[in-house]
Amino acid sequence: MTATIVAQQAINGIVLGSLYVLVALGLTLIYGVLVQINFAHADFVTLGAFAAYFFIHLLGGNYLTSIAVALVVGAILGWAINLTIFAPLRHKGSELLPLIATIGVSTMMQNAMLAWFGPIPYAFETPYSQQVFRVAGMFFTAQSLIIIAVSAATIALLYAFMKFTFLGKALRAVAQDRETAGLMGINPSYLIMLTIVLSSALAGMAGAMLAPVLVLTPFAGTTVIVKAFAIVIIGGFGNVEGTILAGLLVGLIESFTTQYFDPGLIDIFVFALLLLMLAFRPTGLISERREENV
Amino acid sequence: MYRRGLLAVLALAGIATFGAGTASAQDKTIKIGGLFPMSGPGAYFGAQDKQGIELALEELNKTGVNGYKFAIQYEDSACSPLPASQAAKRLLDQYKPDVIIGEECSDATLAIMPIVAEAKVPLINAGSSSIRITDPGNPYTFRIMPNEVMQGVDIATQAYNKLNARTAVLLNETTNAGIGNAKVFKETFEKLGGKVVAEIGFGRDVNDFTAIATRVAGAGKVDVIPTYTLEGQGLKITQALSQAGVVKGGGGGAIQLGTIWLPFGFEQKAGKAAEGYVRIVQFDPTDQRDMVKNFVKNFKAKFNADPTHINAHAYDQILLIADAVKRGAKDAQSIRDTLAATKDFKGVTGSVEFDKSNQNIKMDTIHYMETKPDLSWNALKWN
Amino acid sequence: MSEAAAAAAEYRSSHRRWAFLAAALIIAVLPYVLTGSYWHTNLTVCAINVLLALGLDFILGYAGQLNLGQSAFYGLGAYVSTLLITKFGFPFWGAFVAGVAFAGLSGVFLALFAVRLRGHYLAIASLGFAVIVHQILLNWISLTQGPLGIYAIPPPPAIALPGLPVISFRNPVALFYLIAGFALLVYFLLDQLVRSPIGETLTAIREDEISASSLGINATAWKVFAFGVGAAVGGAAGCFYAPFVGTLVPDAFFITESFTILSMVIVGGMGTLIGPVFGAILLTLLPELLRDIGDLRLVVYGVALTLVVLFMPGGLVQAWKLIRAKITGAPAASP
Repeated sequence: MTATIVAQQAINGIVLGSLYVLVALGLTLIYGVLVQINFAHADFVTLGAFAAYFFIHLLGGNYLTSIAVALVVGAILGWAINLTIFAPLRHKGSELLPLIATIGVSTMMQNAMLAWFGPIPYAFETPYSQQVFRVAGMFFTAQSLIIIAVSAATIALLYAFMKFTFLGKALRAVAQDRETAGLMGINPSYLIMLTIVLSSALAGMAGAMLAPVLVLTPFAGTTVIVKAFAIVIIGGFGNVEGTILAGLLVGLIESFTTQYFDPGLIDIFVFALLLLMLAFRPTGLISERREENV
Repeated sequence: MYRRGLLAVLALAGIATFGAGTASAQDKTIKIGGLFPMSGPGAYFGAQDKQGIELALEELNKTGVNGYKFAIQYEDSACSPLPASQAAKRLLDQYKPDVIIGEECSDATLAIMPIVAEAKVPLINAGSSSIRITDPGNPYTFRIMPNEVMQGVDIATQAYNKLNARTAVLLNETTNAGIGNAKVFKETFEKLGGKVVAEIGFGRDVNDFTAIATRVAGAGKVDVIPTYTLEGQGLKITQALSQAGVVKGGGGGAIQLGTIWLPFGFEQKAGKAAEGYVRIVQFDPTDQRDMVKNFVKNFKAKFNADPTHINAHAYDQILLIADAVKRGAKDAQSIRDTLAATKDFKGVTGSVEFDKSNQNIKMDTIHYMETKPDLSWNALKWN
Repeated sequence: MSEAAAAAAEYRSSHRRWAFLAAALIIAVLPYVLTGSYWHTNLTVCAINVLLALGLDFILGYAGQLNLGQSAFYGLGAYVSTLLITKFGFPFWGAFVAGVAFAGLSGVFLALFAVRLRGHYLAIASLGFAVIVHQILLNWISLTQGPLGIYAIPPPPAIALPGLPVISFRNPVALFYLIAGFALLVYFLLDQLVRSPIGETLTAIREDEISASSLGINATAWKVFAFGVGAAVGGAAGCFYAPFVGTLVPDAFFITESFTILSMVIVGGMGTLIGPVFGAILLTLLPELLRDIGDLRLVVYGVALTLVVLFMPGGLVQAWKLIRAKITGAPAASP
C-alpha cells in the first residue's frame, strides 16, 4: 500500500514538475541571453491558457491544436512587447528599468484580462482529463500522459536546437559574452528578439497545457510564477538541464509534502531550498557558467 | 451686450431645472449602499450580486413601496480589509446611504462592521459565514445567511445519522470561512462518535489536487469528505477525487459533503465526478414556492442564465429592505430597528427571523441537495 | 571648501530648513483641505506608503541593492508589534520599538545571507525571503492567527500633555498627524544620513563596488547597514499599519506589495529622497482618483508605470527638473 502511494505521488510530482519546467524554461532562456527577469512571464502563460480556451469554445477547435494556437499567440505577443517596450529600454543601460517595465506590463495584462474575460473561473475541460487509466493500484489520466509527452518532446527539441543548430549556438554565445558575439558577426538585437519570442511561445504553450490543471482566471499565472522563479535559480539561471532537474524536483517536493506534511508547507520547503542553494551553490544544481561576481 | 442677457437667461433656466431636478430626486428614495468585490479574485461575487440586485430593484421600483423608490450605489471592496474599509468610508462620506449590503468575504465584512456601526447605518450581510460577525453582538450588523456553526453542526449530524458516516477527511481552504467551517464539523462529528482521519488545508493558490486526492485515497476507508472551498478549486478537487477512485463518481465509496459557495451549474462543469455529492445550498432552485419559481423565471429571462445562490442572496437582501420599508422604516435608524424586529420574512432563500445578535435563525435556509447520476439535483428534505 | 562653495552650501541648508517647515505646514493643513473620513484614510495610507518607499529607496537608490523583500519587513513590523500588544500586554510604544528592531534585524540577517549575491540573485533571494515570511505568517496559526486574522487592534494610547487637551488617536486626523509626522522625521534623519560621509560611502559602493573595496571600504558591512535601516523603516510602517486598519491578515503582506513599493520608488525617482515621497503619494492616490473609470482603472495604473519607465526613467524628479529647466531657460514670455 505504501509503495503504491509513493509511486503514485512520484508520478504526480513528475507530471506537475513537467508543467513547471515548461513555464520555467522560458524564464531561464530570457535570463540566459538578456540577463533579465521577466515578471510578465506569468501573464503570458495565463494568456496562452485563455487563447486555448477560446479557440476551443468559440472556434470549435480541438485541444491538441489549441496548444499550437497558444504557442503562436504567445510568440506574437512577445514580439510585440519586445518591439514596443523591451528593445527601447535596453538602450538605456539600466538593469532595473526593464524589470520595472515588466512589472508594469504584468499589471496591464492582468487587469486587461480581468476586464475582458471577467473574474469568474473558466472550466477548461478536455476529454483527456476524463479518461483515467488504472494500473497496479495507481491511476493517471490521459491528460497527464499528454503533458509528459508534450513536455518531453518540447524539451528535447529545445535542447537539440540549442546544442546543434547555428541559431542555438549563437544564442548560447550571446548568453556567455554579448560583446564578443557581436564582434563575431552575430546580431545581438535579432537574437534577443528571437529569445523573447521563443520564451513567450513556450509560456503560451505552457498555459495551454496548464489550463486543464489550473483554476483559470486572469490571476492564474501568478500562482505558478513564484515557483518558476525558484526553479530557475535552483537549476541555475540560464541553464536548461538545471532547470529541467529543478522543475521535476520541485514537482516532487510538492506531491510528497502534500502526502506527508501539509500543502501549506510546500512554498516554505521550496523557498528554503532556494535560499540554501543561494547560500551554498548560487550557480545552481548544474553549473555551466562561471561568473566572477555572482 | 446680447451675450450677457442670453447667459443670464440660460443661467436662470439651468438653476430652475436643477432645482426642479433636486426637488424630485429628494422625495422618497431609500439609498442603498453596495459594498462588493468587483476586482481581484473575489470579483465574480460582485458581478453576481449586482445581477440579483438589479432584478429586485427593477421589480420594486415599478410601483415603489409605501411611496418610496430604491436606489443603489456600489463601491469596490475587493474582498480584503483595507480596500473594504476605504470603500465603506467613501460610500458613507459621499453617498450617505440609509442601509448598506455586503461584503462577501468574512475578512472584509469584519473590517467594515465597526465603520458602519460608528456611522449608525445598518449592514445586511449574506455572504460571510464567520461566527465572529454576529456572535459578539453588533446592533448594526444583520446576517440572513446561516452561520458556520448552524451549517456545520447540522451537516455533521445529518451525515452521521442519515448517511451513517463514521469516518471523515476534511478538505478546506485556509481562510477564515474554510477553517471555521472545518472546525465546527470536526467537533460535532467527533462528539457524535465519528472519527476524522485526516485534515488537509490548502491555500487559494493551490491548483493541482492530484497529490491531495492520492493522500485521501491512501487514508483507508473514508465515508464522507466535507469540502470547504470556492468553486474553482472545488471543481478540481472533485475531479481529482474521482480520478483517484475515491468518490462515488470515480467508482469509490466516499461521499463529498459541501456547503455554501458551490452554485448550481457546478455539476455540469465537474461532470460524472460530481455524482453523489451532498451539499447544503442556500438557494434551492427546485423549491416549489411561487416566489421562487417567479424569481427563477424572471432571472432567466433577464440574464439568460440560471440564478446562483449569490444572485438569490442579493435579491433577498433588497427584498428584506423593502419589507422593512413596508413596515414603516424610512431612514437608517428606523431601518435598523425594523430589521431587528423581523420575525417572518419570506425570501427566495428561505425565511428570516433575527435573534438577539441579529443572526437569522430560521433553518429553512439550509437546503440539502444530492447530485444524481444525470447531474441534476435531488432535494433531500432533511430540514 | 572655497568661500563660494561654503556660501552655496549655507544657502542650500537654509533652503532645506524652510522646505522642512513648509512640509510640516502642509501636513498640518491637509486634513482640513481634504475633509471627510474617506480622504483622511487616503492621506494616512499615503503616509504609510511614503515610509515604505523611503525605506526601500535607501536600500535600492543609495546602496544599490535590489531588494524585493520590503513586504516582509512591513509584515514583520506589523505582526511583531501587534502580537506583543495583544498577547503579551506590551505598551504600544514599547511594542513599536520592538517591531522596528525586529524588522531591522531581519534586514540585517537577510543582508548577511545574501550580500555576496549581486543583481538578480539578490533580488530573487529577497523575493524568496518575502515568500517564506508570508507563508510563515499564514501557516503558524497558533501564533499569528494566520488567515483568521487579528481584529479590533486598538489605536496608540492617547497622549495627555499637561495643560493641553488630550490627544486621542481614535481621531483619524490625529492618527494621520502622528504617522505623517513620523514620516517627516524619518525623511529628515535619512536626509542627514545621506549628506554625511556615510552617504558618500554608500554612493561609492553603489557606483562601483570593486573600486570602493580597493579603497579599503568594507562594502559588505555598509550594505548590511543599509538593509538594516531600510528594513527598520519598513517595519515602522507596519507598526503603524496595524492600529490604523485595525485588522491584520497575512495577505496584506503578499509579495505583490513589494512590487508596488518598488514602483513607487521608481516612478518617484530612485536615488533621491524626495522622489519616492511623491511616487508614493501619486501611486496611492491614482487608483483612488481613477475609481470612476471602473474596471479599467487598474489597467491605467500599469500603463502609467510602463510609460514612466519608458520615457522618464528618472521618475517624477527627472520630470520636475526638465520642467524647471524649461521654465528658467525659456526666454521671457510675450503678453
